Amino acid sequence: MFRSKIKEAIICLEAGRVTLAYPFAPAFIPKGFRGLPSVDINRCVGCGGCASVCPSSLVEIVDEPDRTTITRYFERCIYCGRCADVCPEMAIEMTERFETATNDIRDLHVVHHIYMATCSRCGRCFSSQTPLDPPDYRSFKGTRLNRLGVEST
Amino acid sequence: MESVEEAAGIRAPRRARYIRTILLELERIHSHLLWLGIAGHIIGFDTVLMQSWRMREPVMWAAEKITGNRKTYGQNLIGGVRRDIEKELIPELFPMLDTLEQQWKKVLDAIAGDTTLKARLEGVGILPADKARDLCVVGPTVRGSDIPIDSRVDHPYAAYDELVPRVITFTGCDNWARVLVRMHETFESIRLIREGLKNLPDGPILTQVEETPPPGREGMIVVEAPRGEAIHYVITGSDYRPYRWRVRAPTYQQLQALPSMIQHATVADVPITLGSMDPCFSCTERLEVIDVKTHKVKVYSNEEILNISRRKYGRG
Repeated sequence: MFRSKIKEAIICLEAGRVTLAYPFAPAFIPKGFRGLPSVDINRCVGCGGCASVCPSSLVEIVDEPDRTTITRYFERCIYCGRCADVCPEMAIEMTERFETATNDIRDLHVVHHIYMATCSRCGRCFSSQTPLDPPDYRSFKGTRLNRLGVEST
Repeated sequence: MESVEEAAGIRAPRRARYIRTILLELERIHSHLLWLGIAGHIIGFDTVLMQSWRMREPVMWAAEKITGNRKTYGQNLIGGVRRDIEKELIPELFPMLDTLEQQWKKVLDAIAGDTTLKARLEGVGILPADKARDLCVVGPTVRGSDIPIDSRVDHPYAAYDELVPRVITFTGCDNWARVLVRMHETFESIRLIREGLKNLPDGPILTQVEETPPPGREGMIVVEAPRGEAIHYVITGSDYRPYRWRVRAPTYQQLQALPSMIQHATVADVPITLGSMDPCFSCTERLEVIDVKTHKVKVYSNEEILNISRRKYGRG
């Protein structure tokens, strides 16, 4: 009885002080940590790859005539990093940010507008060279969804 | 994942299956360490809570280094795994396992002679072997009643056909036997991870999936989670979506054994008896609301919960 109590005491004493100074000192973050994804919207071409692989479907893509609106609801993010894996333009990167608690859920919503040009031959949208480069309205034939036979919402 | 792979007729590469096994065993180690802490906390022995959670932390760090996150690994894909275990990382993992094994031996040695602990655990929450068999109890709970059921051995998945675990059973049928099963399983997991890391085969970690499986295919897999066997059943559907996916987590079966375990027990023994089966109430997928004033009981179905939560978050 007493012997086992002493053994238990030794286990505790051997450990010493293990508490990390975390909120007062930065936490150790290993290489390859998956934190909150950050999107470099200048690289985005609006392909929607991230929306189709996202397990929690937090990326909402709405095609409008001259632009594509991408809304991300990061409160649903599970930090899996699938979007960063599939992005063809490497626009998404997993940051080291993990302290995302907030009082207002809207802090975690990210809205991006990409101005899309329309191909004059096939009528599909593609991302224009610069946001200042105006889309060609004369040749506009419809959004991607309409082209696929889906009524846009 | 493996149930979808089974439905589609894909087999993950050998290296990917080894990595899955290593991660599953890391998961088992940290779950058992956590459980011992909780069990100690329930009976008011908080020293073991502090110490086993301290030992658990390096395991979590190792998982974080391998996969990029402590708990939500996000590692499995249909046809393999996403991240490789890098060569530089392997020498770091062996010392971690060695220290853990040493420390865990000390804990086992210390609590094995602790009469206070034994008085709370020995002969409490008895689940005889025949009763356990009748109630289809699974996992460490049934292995504490001397029935060697372990789906890693019975239905090998991942690389368990090559890294064969030893099934640990104890004859006590009481809470103490369940503690011992989990503690010894931790050693077994450490051994499996060591073997897996030593024999890690070379090769790809992901097979390219050429076609999506046609709708209507079925796949089923039994996985030995730390709590017991979890069953995943999938029917493939169209549009890259499953038509049906049914998960049976182990807690629901375990809970059926509770009434017989707490029969003739004192009230103070009920929490630890319930805790000894490592329950996860969110896995029993029911929600019962009892109105305190009218004593009316309402059980919500899956659909109702979905509708309530959608309304709450303002979608749909």
